[in-house]
Amino acid sequence: MKKQKENLPAIKVSHVTKTFNVYYDKANTLKERIIFLNRNQKEVRKVLKDIDLEIQKGETVALIGVNGSGKSTLLKLMTKIIYPNSGTIKINGKLTSLLELGAGFHPDFSGRENIYFNASIFGLTKTQIDQRLDDIIAFSELGDFIDNPIRTYSSGMYMRLAFAVAINVDADILLIDEVLAVGDQHFQEKCLKKMKELKKEGKTMVFVSHSMESVKFLCDRAVWLYNGQIREDGPTEQVVKDYLKECS
Amino acid sequence: MKLVQELYQYREFLKTSIRKEFRGKYKKSFLGVLWSFINPLLQLLVYALVFPFIMRVQVENYTMFLIVALIPWTFFNSTVCQSTSTIIASSGIIKKVYFPRAILPISNVTSNFLNFLISCIIIVVALLISGIGIGASIVFLPLVMFLQYVFSLAISFILSSITVYIRDLEYFVNVLMMLWFYLTPIVYEVSMIPERFRNILNLNPMVHIITAYRDILYYQKAPDLTALGILFLICFFLLWIGYHIFHKCEKRFAEEL
Repeated sequence: MKKQKENLPAIKVSHVTKTFNVYYDKANTLKERIIFLNRNQKEVRKVLKDIDLEIQKGETVALIGVNGSGKSTLLKLMTKIIYPNSGTIKINGKLTSLLELGAGFHPDFSGRENIYFNASIFGLTKTQIDQRLDDIIAFSELGDFIDNPIRTYSSGMYMRLAFAVAINVDADILLIDEVLAVGDQHFQEKCLKKMKELKKEGKTMVFVSHSMESVKFLCDRAVWLYNGQIREDGPTEQVVKDYLKECS
Repeated sequence: MKLVQELYQYREFLKTSIRKEFRGKYKKSFLGVLWSFINPLLQLLVYALVFPFIMRVQVENYTMFLIVALIPWTFFNSTVCQSTSTIIASSGIIKKVYFPRAILPISNVTSNFLNFLISCIIIVVALLISGIGIGASIVFLPLVMFLQYVFSLAISFILSSITVYIRDLEYFVNVLMMLWFYLTPIVYEVSMIPERFRNILNLNPMVHIITAYRDILYYQKAPDLTALGILFLICFFLLWIGYHIFHKCEKRFAEEL
């Protein structure tokens, strides 16, 4: 039984279609809804069309593609912030998403208190956070600033703290969206190195990035999304090469 | 069942969320948590002056009659009024991360419940000062509080999720609550209502909850247990419906906000 469970893919996306309603002028209240019946026009935009994707445990997969190709939507579906119109998504293991950093940060509280807020949203208990607290503070390189209210932080410091929490959540599956564009060169490299370490520990990662260098550095497999469909799926080198050729 | 499991896993978030709401309520105010006392006391003062002296309601020890009903009502009222904005106020984190969304209405009800427990000190002090004292009937009190909690949670689930789609509800609920206040025997008693209207009035679950509070605390007698038994079933049925409505709605929260 246990063996069978281990063979399950970490993420299994089958026949997923997602549409968004784009309102030209959205009626929010009942009054607007009744008075402006004709104004409530909407356009149904298909963002993902019948996507099939299987990601095995321990794989590091990059999602690449131009803006609006549906990469972020796919990640949001995997983390259950939004739900597909049709199709199913199966997740096996604890999943953490680094889609947007610093969820639940409260500017008036200190960095240390915000670690607790932020990590609790990821589903950690107090003892678990206590255990990780030192690692998180060390990774963020905030030093004594950790006890200052975070409204006094620079945007780089803010992001460093947020990333430090998210990376230490200890999930089996990590979804990472474009968050590496924060911090200075030194911190970016540190993040990449940390992610490489996590990869060695056998974590599953899905990584969205426009930086082909990071993609090549980190991922063995790449999936190229184009207009809501999978255009190419294969070894990173090959897919990135084809993608760059198309772009230029 | 899955919800219970998830809530257990996210218990730390549930705790911080309750604490944040509980403390955040009066955070910017000068008197802080003292408002948990002052607010109901001032309200009480208004009603205790208006009804006996202006409307000439003839009830013995009217202030006590009022106090045991008004404070539980305040808990219900503030929970329901705040429930419409719980989801909308947290749109930031809803769009950013996954967590069991049910935590938001639960922490709304729970933080208000904690506030209610603090205000209960007023009831206890008033009962002792007025000479009514506290009788053995108080053993029923936790049951009634529990029923009120379940009923409030059911309503909170329904209102918080539907308001995301129909924002008007927020304003409508405020007016509705005013009407509901007078449809519940708080400033009067059920026996003051003409017989033929009583059946209609009895459809309101809050009638039975408030009556039970008054029986226990003011008249010092056991509440009507059959009524509470039926109420128990109704509350859990409503909670079940409420959660299903919430569950149906929560899938599109991130898109609608």
